Amino acid sequence: MPDRDTQRLAMLESVLSAASLGMVVLDHERRVVLWNRWMAQHSGIPAAQVLGRDFLSVFPDLDNKRLEGSILQALRGFPSVLSQTLHKAPFPLFAHPGAPRMQQAVAITPVDVDGVERHCLIQITDVSAAVNRERLLRVQALELRSQTFSDGLTGIANRRHFDVAIEKEIRRAKRGGTPLSLLMIDIDHFKSYNDHYGHQQGDETLIKVAAALAAMLQRPMDLIARYGGEEFSVILPEMDEQHSLAMAQALRERVRALAIPHAYTGTGEPFVTISIGMAALRADQTTEVTALIGAADRALYAAKHEGRNRVVVSQL
Amino acid sequence: MFNLSELQHDALLEIFNIGVGHAASAMSDIVKEEVTMSVPSISFLNRAEAASMLGQDGARICGISQHFEGAFKTEALLMFPEEKSLEIVRLMVGEAMPMAELTEMEQEAMSEIGNIILNSCIGTLANIFGQQLSGSLPMYHVGSSEEILTASGSPADAIVLMLHIDFILEKHEIHGYVAFILDMSALHDLQDQVDRYLAKAMGG
Repeated sequence: MPDRDTQRLAMLESVLSAASLGMVVLDHERRVVLWNRWMAQHSGIPAAQVLGRDFLSVFPDLDNKRLEGSILQALRGFPSVLSQTLHKAPFPLFAHPGAPRMQQAVAITPVDVDGVERHCLIQITDVSAAVNRERLLRVQALELRSQTFSDGLTGIANRRHFDVAIEKEIRRAKRGGTPLSLLMIDIDHFKSYNDHYGHQQGDETLIKVAAALAAMLQRPMDLIARYGGEEFSVILPEMDEQHSLAMAQALRERVRALAIPHAYTGTGEPFVTISIGMAALRADQTTEVTALIGAADRALYAAKHEGRNRVVVSQL
Repeated sequence: MFNLSELQHDALLEIFNIGVGHAASAMSDIVKEEVTMSVPSISFLNRAEAASMLGQDGARICGISQHFEGAFKTEALLMFPEEKSLEIVRLMVGEAMPMAELTEMEQEAMSEIGNIILNSCIGTLANIFGQQLSGSLPMYHVGSSEEILTASGSPADAIVLMLHIDFILEKHEIHGYVAFILDMSALHDLQDQVDRYLAKAMGG
Protein backbone atom coordinates (compact mmCIF):
# COMPACT_ATOMS: atom_id res chain seq x y z
CA MET A 1 0.00 0.00 0.00
CA PRO A 2 1.43 3.40 -0.96
CA ASP A 3 2.25 5.73 1.93
CA ARG A 4 0.35 8.96 2.48
CA ASP A 5 3.05 11.20 1.04
CA THR A 6 3.07 9.26 -2.21
CA GLN A 7 -0.70 9.43 -2.35
CA ARG A 8 -0.68 13.14 -1.73
CA LEU A 9 1.91 13.67 -4.44
CA ALA A 10 -0.12 11.64 -6.92
CA MET A 11 -3.18 13.70 -6.13
CA LEU A 12 -1.29 16.99 -6.56
CA GLU A 13 0.00 15.75 -9.93
CA SER A 14 -3.58 15.00 -11.01
CA VAL A 15 -4.80 18.40 -9.85
CA LEU A 16 -2.07 20.20 -11.81
CA SER A 17 -2.98 18.17 -14.89
CA ALA A 18 -6.66 18.94 -14.50
CA ALA A 19 -6.23 22.70 -13.95
CA SER A 20 -7.63 24.84 -16.76
CA LEU A 21 -4.84 27.36 -16.64
CA GLY A 22 -1.17 27.28 -17.49
CA MET A 23 1.23 26.62 -14.61
CA VAL A 24 4.99 26.72 -14.89
CA VAL A 25 7.38 26.56 -11.95
CA LEU A 26 10.93 27.88 -12.32
CA ASP A 27 13.85 27.32 -9.97
CA HIS A 28 16.16 30.11 -8.75
CA GLU A 29 18.11 29.91 -12.01
CA ARG A 30 14.97 30.25 -14.11
CA ARG A 31 15.01 26.58 -15.15
CA VAL A 32 11.64 24.93 -15.76
CA VAL A 33 10.86 22.39 -13.03
CA LEU A 34 7.12 22.07 -13.64
CA TRP A 35 5.09 22.40 -16.84
CA ASN A 36 1.47 21.33 -16.49
CA ARG A 37 -0.66 19.58 -19.07
CA TRP A 38 -2.50 22.81 -20.03
CA MET A 39 0.87 24.33 -21.04
CA ALA A 40 1.79 21.28 -23.11
CA GLN A 41 -1.60 21.28 -24.77
CA HIS A 42 -1.70 24.96 -25.71
CA SER A 43 1.95 25.52 -26.55
CA GLY A 44 2.35 22.22 -28.40
CA ILE A 45 5.53 21.62 -26.40
CA PRO A 46 5.51 18.53 -24.13
CA ALA A 47 6.95 18.81 -20.61
CA ALA A 48 9.80 16.43 -21.43
CA GLN A 49 11.15 18.96 -23.94
CA VAL A 50 11.31 21.88 -21.50
CA LEU A 51 12.10 20.48 -18.05
CA GLY A 52 15.53 21.67 -16.93
CA ARG A 53 15.79 24.35 -19.64
CA ASP A 54 16.03 28.13 -19.09
CA PHE A 55 12.44 29.32 -19.38
CA LEU A 56 13.33 32.18 -21.74
CA SER A 57 15.04 29.76 -24.14
CA VAL A 58 11.75 27.85 -24.49
CA PHE A 59 10.19 30.94 -26.10
CA PRO A 60 13.11 32.54 -27.98
CA ASP A 61 10.88 35.11 -29.74
CA LEU A 62 9.60 36.51 -26.48
CA ASP A 63 10.60 40.15 -26.39
CA ASN A 64 9.18 41.34 -23.13
CA LYS A 65 11.46 43.05 -20.62
CA ARG A 66 8.64 43.32 -18.13
CA LEU A 67 8.22 39.54 -18.09
CA GLU A 68 11.92 38.98 -17.59
CA GLY A 69 12.00 41.58 -14.80
CA SER A 70 8.91 40.07 -13.18
CA ILE A 71 10.49 36.61 -12.99
CA LEU A 72 13.56 38.14 -11.38
CA GLN A 73 11.37 40.05 -8.89
CA ALA A 74 9.35 36.94 -8.04
CA LEU A 75 12.56 35.06 -7.30
CA ARG A 76 13.33 37.90 -4.84
CA GLY A 77 9.92 37.69 -3.20
CA PHE A 78 7.81 40.17 -5.17
CA PRO A 79 4.83 38.93 -7.19
CA SER A 80 3.71 40.57 -10.45
CA VAL A 81 0.73 40.62 -12.75
CA LEU A 82 0.99 41.18 -16.51
CA SER A 83 -2.33 42.36 -17.88
CA GLN A 84 -3.70 41.46 -21.29
CA THR A 85 -4.44 45.15 -21.92
CA LEU A 86 -0.78 46.16 -21.70
CA HIS A 87 0.82 42.98 -23.09
CA LYS A 88 -1.82 41.33 -25.33
CA ALA A 89 -0.59 37.78 -25.96
CA PRO A 90 3.04 37.44 -24.81
CA PHE A 91 3.33 33.64 -25.21
CA PRO A 92 2.67 31.67 -28.40
CA LEU A 93 -0.31 29.76 -26.96
CA PHE A 94 -3.37 28.64 -28.90
CA ALA A 95 -6.78 27.33 -27.84
CA HIS A 96 -6.38 24.69 -30.56
CA PRO A 97 -4.02 24.30 -33.54
CA GLY A 98 -4.82 26.92 -36.17
CA ALA A 99 -6.70 29.19 -33.73
CA PRO A 100 -5.56 32.81 -33.32
CA ARG A 101 -3.08 33.46 -30.54
CA MET A 102 -4.72 33.26 -27.13
CA GLN A 103 -5.12 36.53 -25.18
CA GLN A 104 -3.40 36.09 -21.82
CA ALA A 105 -3.36 37.37 -18.27
CA VAL A 106 -0.21 36.35 -16.43
CA ALA A 107 0.61 36.24 -12.72
CA ILE A 108 4.09 35.46 -11.44
CA THR A 109 4.41 34.66 -7.73
CA PRO A 110 7.26 33.60 -5.47
CA VAL A 111 7.14 30.02 -4.21
CA ASP A 112 9.05 29.29 -1.02
CA VAL A 113 10.11 25.69 -0.58
CA ASP A 114 11.86 24.51 2.59
CA GLY A 115 15.50 23.67 2.12
CA VAL A 116 15.97 25.04 -1.40
CA GLU A 117 16.29 28.48 -2.90
CA ARG A 118 13.11 30.34 -3.77
CA HIS A 119 11.20 29.22 -6.88
CA CYS A 120 8.49 31.07 -8.76
CA LEU A 121 5.15 30.09 -10.26
CA ILE A 122 3.93 31.50 -13.58
CA GLN A 123 0.16 31.26 -14.05
CA ILE A 124 -1.33 31.97 -17.44
CA THR A 125 -5.08 32.46 -17.91
CA ASP A 126 -6.93 32.55 -21.23
CA VAL A 127 -8.85 35.86 -21.27
CA SER A 128 -9.83 35.76 -24.97
CA ALA A 129 -13.54 35.67 -24.13
CA ALA A 130 -13.34 38.77 -21.94
CA VAL A 131 -11.31 40.58 -24.60
CA ASN A 132 -13.93 39.79 -27.23
CA ARG A 133 -16.73 40.89 -24.94
CA GLU A 134 -15.06 44.24 -24.35
CA ARG A 135 -14.32 44.67 -28.05
CA LEU A 136 -18.03 44.26 -28.74
CA LEU A 137 -18.93 46.67 -25.96
CA ARG A 138 -16.51 49.18 -27.39
CA VAL A 139 -17.89 48.92 -30.91
CA GLN A 140 -21.43 49.46 -29.64
CA ALA A 141 -20.49 52.39 -27.45
CA LEU A 142 -18.55 53.98 -30.30
CA GLU A 143 -21.51 53.55 -32.63
CA LEU A 144 -23.69 55.32 -30.12
CA ARG A 145 -21.17 58.06 -29.77
CA SER A 146 -20.61 58.42 -33.52
CA GLN A 147 -24.05 59.97 -33.72
CA THR A 148 -22.70 62.97 -31.84
CA PHE A 149 -19.51 62.92 -33.87
CA SER A 150 -20.94 63.36 -37.33
CA ASP A 151 -21.71 66.48 -39.31
CA GLY A 152 -25.45 67.11 -39.53
CA LEU A 153 -25.44 68.27 -43.16
CA THR A 154 -23.01 65.95 -44.93
CA GLY A 155 -23.08 62.92 -42.64
CA ILE A 156 -19.27 62.64 -42.58
CA ALA A 157 -17.26 63.16 -39.38
CA ASN A 158 -17.51 66.59 -37.76
CA ARG A 159 -14.79 68.88 -36.49
CA ARG A 160 -14.97 67.43 -32.98
CA HIS A 161 -14.39 63.94 -34.34
CA PHE A 162 -11.46 65.22 -36.40
CA ASP A 163 -9.83 66.87 -33.38
CA VAL A 164 -9.96 63.62 -31.41
CA ALA A 165 -8.84 61.51 -34.37
CA ILE A 166 -5.85 63.61 -35.42
CA GLU A 167 -4.51 63.62 -31.87
CA LYS A 168 -4.88 59.85 -31.67
CA GLU A 169 -3.34 59.22 -35.09
CA ILE A 170 -0.29 61.37 -34.42
CA ARG A 171 0.38 59.36 -31.26
CA ARG A 172 -0.22 56.10 -33.07
CA ALA A 173 2.21 57.10 -35.83
CA LYS A 174 4.80 57.98 -33.23
CA ARG A 175 4.39 54.71 -31.35
CA GLY A 176 4.26 52.54 -34.42
CA GLY A 177 6.91 54.46 -36.37
CA THR A 178 4.50 54.79 -39.31
CA PRO A 179 3.95 57.66 -41.76
CA LEU A 180 0.85 59.87 -41.65
CA SER A 181 -0.61 62.42 -44.08
CA LEU A 182 -3.11 65.20 -43.57
CA LEU A 183 -5.03 66.88 -46.41
CA MET A 184 -6.86 70.19 -45.99
CA ILE A 185 -9.39 70.61 -48.78
CA ASP A 186 -11.31 73.74 -49.79
CA ILE A 187 -13.97 74.12 -52.48
CA ASP A 188 -12.78 76.79 -54.95
CA HIS A 189 -14.83 79.99 -55.37
CA PHE A 190 -17.51 78.66 -53.03
CA LYS A 191 -18.56 82.11 -51.83
CA SER A 192 -19.47 83.21 -55.35
CA TYR A 193 -21.19 79.84 -55.89
CA ASN A 194 -23.42 80.48 -52.88
CA ASP A 195 -23.99 84.09 -53.91
CA HIS A 196 -25.18 83.12 -57.40
CA TYR A 197 -26.89 79.77 -56.87
CA GLY A 198 -28.27 80.31 -53.39
CA HIS A 199 -27.54 78.57 -50.09
CA GLN A 200 -29.80 75.59 -50.73
CA GLN A 201 -27.91 74.62 -53.83
CA GLY A 202 -24.71 75.43 -51.98
CA ASP A 203 -25.67 72.85 -49.34
CA GLU A 204 -26.47 70.28 -52.01
CA THR A 205 -23.07 70.78 -53.57
CA LEU A 206 -21.40 70.39 -50.17
CA ILE A 207 -23.23 67.07 -49.70
CA LYS A 208 -22.25 65.84 -53.20
CA VAL A 209 -18.60 66.80 -52.79
CA ALA A 210 -18.42 65.24 -49.31
CA ALA A 211 -19.97 61.99 -50.56
CA ALA A 212 -17.65 61.83 -53.58
CA LEU A 213 -14.56 62.39 -51.39
CA ALA A 214 -15.70 59.88 -48.76
CA ALA A 215 -16.32 57.22 -51.42
CA MET A 216 -12.71 57.49 -52.57
CA LEU A 217 -11.32 56.53 -49.16
CA GLN A 218 -11.22 52.75 -49.08
CA ARG A 219 -9.35 51.89 -45.89
CA PRO A 220 -11.28 51.77 -42.60
CA MET A 221 -8.62 53.87 -40.86
CA ASP A 222 -8.90 56.80 -43.28
CA LEU A 223 -11.01 59.66 -42.00
CA ILE A 224 -12.71 62.51 -43.83
CA ALA A 225 -14.25 65.29 -41.75
CA ARG A 226 -16.00 68.55 -42.40
CA TYR A 227 -13.49 70.97 -40.94
CA GLY A 228 -15.71 74.03 -41.26
CA GLY A 229 -17.81 75.84 -43.93
CA GLU A 230 -16.64 74.55 -47.31
CA GLU A 231 -13.46 73.06 -45.87
CA PHE A 232 -12.78 69.34 -45.42
CA SER A 233 -9.87 67.46 -43.86
CA VAL A 234 -8.66 63.95 -44.62
CA ILE A 235 -6.41 61.89 -42.33
CA LEU A 236 -4.43 59.15 -44.06
CA PRO A 237 -2.64 57.01 -41.44
CA GLU A 238 0.19 54.67 -42.47
CA MET A 239 0.40 56.21 -45.93
CA ASP A 240 3.66 57.66 -47.25
CA GLU A 241 4.02 60.94 -49.13
CA GLN A 242 4.02 59.40 -52.61
CA HIS A 243 0.80 57.44 -52.13
CA SER A 244 -0.87 60.29 -50.26
CA LEU A 245 -0.08 62.68 -53.09
CA ALA A 246 -1.58 60.22 -55.60
CA MET A 247 -4.66 59.98 -53.37
CA ALA A 248 -4.92 63.78 -53.17
CA GLN A 249 -4.71 64.09 -56.95
CA ALA A 250 -7.39 61.40 -57.33
CA LEU A 251 -9.68 63.28 -54.92
CA ARG A 252 -9.15 66.53 -56.84
CA GLU A 253 -9.89 64.85 -60.18
CA ARG A 254 -12.93 63.07 -58.78
CA VAL A 255 -14.58 66.32 -57.68
CA ARG A 256 -14.03 68.00 -61.02
CA ALA A 257 -15.39 64.84 -62.73
CA LEU A 258 -18.69 65.42 -60.90
CA ALA A 259 -19.04 68.26 -63.44
CA ILE A 260 -21.12 70.45 -61.13
CA PRO A 261 -21.59 73.64 -63.18
CA HIS A 262 -20.09 76.82 -61.73
CA ALA A 263 -20.45 79.73 -64.15
CA TYR A 264 -18.93 82.28 -61.79
CA THR A 265 -15.41 81.08 -61.13
CA GLY A 266 -14.05 84.07 -63.05
CA THR A 267 -11.25 81.90 -64.43
CA GLY A 268 -12.90 80.13 -67.34
CA GLU A 269 -13.21 76.93 -65.24
CA PRO A 270 -16.83 75.77 -65.82
CA PHE A 271 -17.07 73.28 -62.94
CA VAL A 272 -16.77 73.13 -59.16
CA THR A 273 -13.18 72.23 -58.23
CA ILE A 274 -11.19 71.82 -55.03
CA SER A 275 -7.74 72.89 -53.83
CA ILE A 276 -5.77 70.62 -51.54
CA GLY A 277 -2.95 71.37 -49.12
CA MET A 278 -1.07 68.34 -47.94
CA ALA A 279 1.36 67.76 -45.06
CA ALA A 280 3.13 64.41 -44.83
CA LEU A 281 4.79 63.03 -41.72
CA ARG A 282 7.52 60.52 -42.54
CA ALA A 283 7.83 57.33 -40.50
CA ASP A 284 10.95 58.68 -38.77
CA GLN A 285 9.41 62.05 -37.90
CA THR A 286 7.22 63.15 -35.02
CA THR A 287 5.27 66.36 -34.71
CA GLU A 288 2.56 68.19 -32.84
CA VAL A 289 -1.05 68.50 -33.98
CA THR A 290 -0.79 72.25 -34.50
CA ALA A 291 2.37 71.93 -36.60
CA LEU A 292 0.82 69.30 -38.86
CA ILE A 293 -2.39 71.28 -39.39
CA GLY A 294 -0.35 74.47 -39.85
CA ALA A 295 1.73 72.86 -42.60
CA ALA A 296 -1.35 71.56 -44.42
CA ASP A 297 -2.99 75.00 -44.11
CA ARG A 298 0.05 76.72 -45.61
CA ALA A 299 0.01 74.26 -48.49
CA LEU A 300 -3.70 74.93 -49.05
CA TYR A 301 -3.03 78.67 -49.10
CA ALA A 302 -0.29 78.12 -51.68
CA ALA A 303 -2.61 75.95 -53.80
CA LYS A 304 -5.17 78.77 -53.82
CA HIS A 305 -2.51 81.33 -54.58
CA GLU A 306 -1.09 79.33 -57.49
CA GLY A 307 -4.44 79.20 -59.27
CA ARG A 308 -6.67 76.62 -57.48
CA ASN A 309 -7.76 73.12 -58.60
CA ARG A 310 -4.39 71.74 -57.57
CA VAL A 311 -2.50 69.92 -54.83
CA VAL A 312 0.43 71.50 -53.00
CA VAL A 313 2.59 69.62 -50.51
CA SER A 314 4.27 71.46 -47.67
CA GLN A 315 7.27 70.19 -45.74
CA LEU A 316 7.14 69.92 -41.97
CA MET B 1 2.13 62.97 15.18
CA PHE B 2 5.07 60.79 14.49
CA ASN B 3 8.02 62.50 12.85
CA LEU B 4 11.37 61.67 11.35
CA SER B 5 14.56 63.67 11.68
CA GLU B 6 15.45 65.73 8.65
CA LEU B 7 18.16 63.21 7.71
CA GLN B 8 15.79 60.24 7.97
CA HIS B 9 13.18 62.12 5.97
CA ASP B 10 15.61 63.02 3.18
CA ALA B 11 16.95 59.47 3.01
CA LEU B 12 13.44 58.01 2.59
CA LEU B 13 12.51 60.63 0.00
CA GLU B 14 15.62 59.78 -1.99
CA ILE B 15 14.99 56.03 -1.78
CA PHE B 16 11.39 56.41 -2.96
CA ASN B 17 12.48 58.62 -5.85
CA ILE B 18 14.90 55.89 -6.94
CA GLY B 19 12.03 53.40 -6.61
CA VAL B 20 9.54 55.29 -8.77
CA GLY B 21 12.35 55.96 -11.25
CA HIS B 22 12.66 52.19 -11.76
CA ALA B 23 8.87 51.95 -12.06
CA ALA B 24 8.83 54.71 -14.69
CA SER B 25 11.46 53.00 -16.80
CA ALA B 26 9.58 49.67 -16.60
CA MET B 27 6.44 51.45 -17.79
CA SER B 28 8.35 53.22 -20.59
CA ASP B 29 9.45 49.78 -21.82
CA ILE B 30 5.84 48.66 -21.97
CA VAL B 31 4.37 51.66 -23.79
CA LYS B 32 7.51 52.63 -25.74
CA GLU B 33 6.98 56.25 -24.76
CA GLU B 34 8.70 58.25 -22.10
CA VAL B 35 7.13 57.91 -18.67
CA THR B 36 8.47 60.09 -15.86
CA MET B 37 7.68 59.69 -12.18
CA SER B 38 8.83 61.48 -9.11
CA VAL B 39 8.00 61.79 -5.43
CA PRO B 40 8.04 65.49 -4.52
CA SER B 41 7.19 64.96 -0.84
CA ILE B 42 6.42 62.44 1.87
CA SER B 43 4.57 62.88 5.15
CA PHE B 44 3.33 60.87 8.13
CA LEU B 45 -0.39 61.14 8.84
CA ASN B 46 -3.00 59.35 10.88
CA ARG B 47 -5.64 57.50 8.95
CA ALA B 48 -8.31 60.21 9.21
CA GLU B 49 -5.90 62.88 7.97
CA ALA B 50 -4.83 60.63 5.12
CA ALA B 51 -8.44 60.01 4.12
CA SER B 52 -9.28 63.70 4.04
CA MET B 53 -6.15 64.52 2.05
CA LEU B 54 -7.19 62.00 -0.61
CA GLY B 55 -10.66 63.36 -1.13
CA GLN B 56 -13.70 64.67 0.65
CA ASP B 57 -17.42 64.02 0.39
CA GLY B 58 -17.13 60.46 -0.79
CA ALA B 59 -15.17 61.33 -3.94
CA ARG B 60 -14.42 58.02 -5.62
CA ILE B 61 -10.83 56.84 -5.41
CA CYS B 62 -9.28 53.99 -7.28
CA GLY B 63 -6.70 52.02 -5.29
CA ILE B 64 -4.37 49.09 -5.85
CA SER B 65 -3.12 47.37 -2.72
CA GLN B 66 -0.40 44.86 -1.92
CA HIS B 67 0.61 43.43 1.42
CA PHE B 68 4.34 43.24 2.18
CA GLU B 69 6.19 41.68 5.07
CA GLY B 70 9.70 40.82 6.15
CA ALA B 71 12.01 43.50 7.54
CA PHE B 72 8.81 45.40 8.30
CA LYS B 73 5.15 44.80 7.68
CA THR B 74 2.95 47.13 5.64
CA GLU B 75 -0.13 47.44 3.51
CA ALA B 76 0.90 49.44 0.44
CA LEU B 77 -1.64 51.33 -1.66
CA LEU B 78 -1.41 53.29 -4.89
CA MET B 79 -4.32 55.70 -5.17
CA PHE B 80 -5.70 58.05 -7.79
CA PRO B 81 -9.01 59.88 -8.04
CA GLU B 82 -11.17 57.62 -10.22
CA GLU B 83 -11.16 59.95 -13.25
CA LYS B 84 -7.35 60.12 -13.11
CA SER B 85 -7.11 56.35 -13.15
CA LEU B 86 -9.17 56.39 -16.36
CA GLU B 87 -6.73 58.91 -17.79
CA ILE B 88 -3.65 56.89 -16.82
CA VAL B 89 -4.88 53.57 -18.17
CA ARG B 90 -6.09 55.11 -21.40
CA LEU B 91 -2.85 57.01 -21.87
CA MET B 92 -0.85 53.82 -21.24
CA VAL B 93 -3.01 51.77 -23.56
CA GLY B 94 -3.13 54.52 -26.18
CA GLU B 95 -6.78 53.81 -26.81
CA ALA B 96 -9.86 55.25 -25.17
CA MET B 97 -12.77 53.07 -24.14
CA PRO B 98 -15.89 55.21 -24.44
CA MET B 99 -16.88 54.38 -20.85
CA ALA B 100 -17.10 56.40 -17.67
CA GLU B 101 -15.62 53.60 -15.56
CA LEU B 102 -12.69 51.29 -15.99
CA THR B 103 -13.74 48.08 -17.72
CA GLU B 104 -12.72 44.74 -16.25
CA MET B 105 -9.67 44.52 -18.55
CA GLU B 106 -8.69 48.10 -17.78
CA GLN B 107 -8.89 47.35 -14.06
CA GLU B 108 -6.35 44.59 -14.64
CA ALA B 109 -4.10 47.05 -16.45
CA MET B 110 -4.45 49.49 -13.54
CA SER B 111 -3.56 46.65 -11.15
CA GLU B 112 -0.43 46.00 -13.16
CA ILE B 113 0.52 49.69 -13.05
CA GLY B 114 0.01 49.68 -9.27
CA ASN B 115 1.98 46.44 -9.01
CA ILE B 116 4.93 47.95 -10.89
CA ILE B 117 5.00 51.10 -8.73
CA LEU B 118 4.51 49.36 -5.36
CA ASN B 119 7.01 46.57 -6.10
CA SER B 120 9.56 49.19 -7.19
CA CYS B 121 9.11 51.29 -4.04
CA ILE B 122 9.30 48.35 -1.64
CA GLY B 123 11.91 46.51 -3.73
CA THR B 124 14.18 49.55 -3.63
CA LEU B 125 13.75 49.83 0.14
CA ALA B 126 14.60 46.13 0.56
CA ASN B 127 17.61 46.47 -1.71
CA ILE B 128 19.02 49.54 -0.05
CA PHE B 129 18.41 48.22 3.46
CA GLY B 130 19.85 44.84 2.43
CA GLN B 131 16.75 43.20 3.92
CA GLN B 132 14.27 40.55 2.83
CA LEU B 133 10.71 41.62 2.06
CA SER B 134 8.06 39.76 0.14
CA GLY B 135 4.60 40.64 -1.06
CA SER B 136 1.15 39.51 -2.17
CA LEU B 137 -0.50 39.94 -5.57
CA PRO B 138 -2.16 43.33 -6.16
CA MET B 139 -5.86 43.89 -5.48
CA TYR B 140 -8.03 46.52 -7.12
CA HIS B 141 -10.48 48.68 -5.12
CA VAL B 142 -12.83 51.55 -5.88
CA GLY B 143 -14.56 53.57 -3.18
CA SER B 144 -14.25 56.56 -0.88
CA SER B 145 -10.79 57.28 0.51
CA GLU B 146 -11.93 56.05 3.93
CA GLU B 147 -13.18 52.76 2.45
CA ILE B 148 -9.97 52.20 0.54
CA LEU B 149 -7.73 52.90 3.52
CA THR B 150 -9.70 50.50 5.73
CA ALA B 151 -10.16 47.78 3.07
CA SER B 152 -6.91 46.23 4.22
CA GLY B 153 -8.22 45.83 7.75
CA SER B 154 -5.67 48.18 9.25
CA PRO B 155 -6.31 49.41 12.80
CA ALA B 156 -7.75 52.92 13.25
CA ASP B 157 -4.60 54.09 15.05
CA ALA B 158 -2.35 53.04 12.17
CA ILE B 159 0.13 55.55 10.77
CA VAL B 160 0.11 56.33 7.08
CA LEU B 161 3.36 57.15 5.33
CA MET B 162 2.02 59.15 2.39
CA LEU B 163 3.97 59.77 -0.81
CA HIS B 164 2.85 62.33 -3.36
CA ILE B 165 3.48 60.97 -6.81
CA ASP B 166 3.80 62.91 -10.07
CA PHE B 167 3.28 60.80 -13.14
CA ILE B 168 4.01 62.28 -16.57
CA LEU B 169 3.19 60.63 -19.89
CA GLU B 170 2.80 62.43 -23.21
CA LYS B 171 2.74 65.87 -21.57
CA HIS B 172 -0.10 64.77 -19.30
CA GLU B 173 0.78 65.24 -15.67
CA ILE B 174 -1.19 63.24 -13.17
CA HIS B 175 -0.92 63.46 -9.39
CA GLY B 176 -1.55 60.49 -7.17
CA TYR B 177 -0.55 58.98 -3.86
CA VAL B 178 1.19 55.95 -2.50
CA ALA B 179 0.36 55.11 1.10
CA PHE B 180 2.17 52.67 3.35
CA ILE B 181 0.00 51.76 6.30
CA LEU B 182 2.18 50.92 9.28
CA ASP B 183 1.48 50.02 12.88
CA MET B 184 3.76 51.32 15.63
CA SER B 185 6.10 48.36 15.59
CA ALA B 186 6.39 48.44 11.79
CA LEU B 187 7.10 52.15 12.00
CA HIS B 188 9.95 51.57 14.45
CA ASP B 189 11.32 48.76 12.28
CA LEU B 190 11.30 51.15 9.31
CA GLN B 191 12.97 53.89 11.33
CA ASP B 192 15.65 51.43 12.54
CA GLN B 193 16.36 50.43 8.96
CA VAL B 194 16.71 54.08 7.90
CA ASP B 195 19.10 54.73 10.80
CA ARG B 196 21.18 51.69 9.97
CA TYR B 197 21.36 52.79 6.35
CA LEU B 198 22.35 56.32 7.35
CA ALA B 199 25.00 55.05 9.77
CA LYS B 200 26.47 52.92 7.00
CA ALA B 201 26.30 55.78 4.49
CA MET B 202 28.00 58.18 6.94
CA GLY B 203 30.53 55.62 8.15
CA GLY B 204 31.40 54.53 4.62
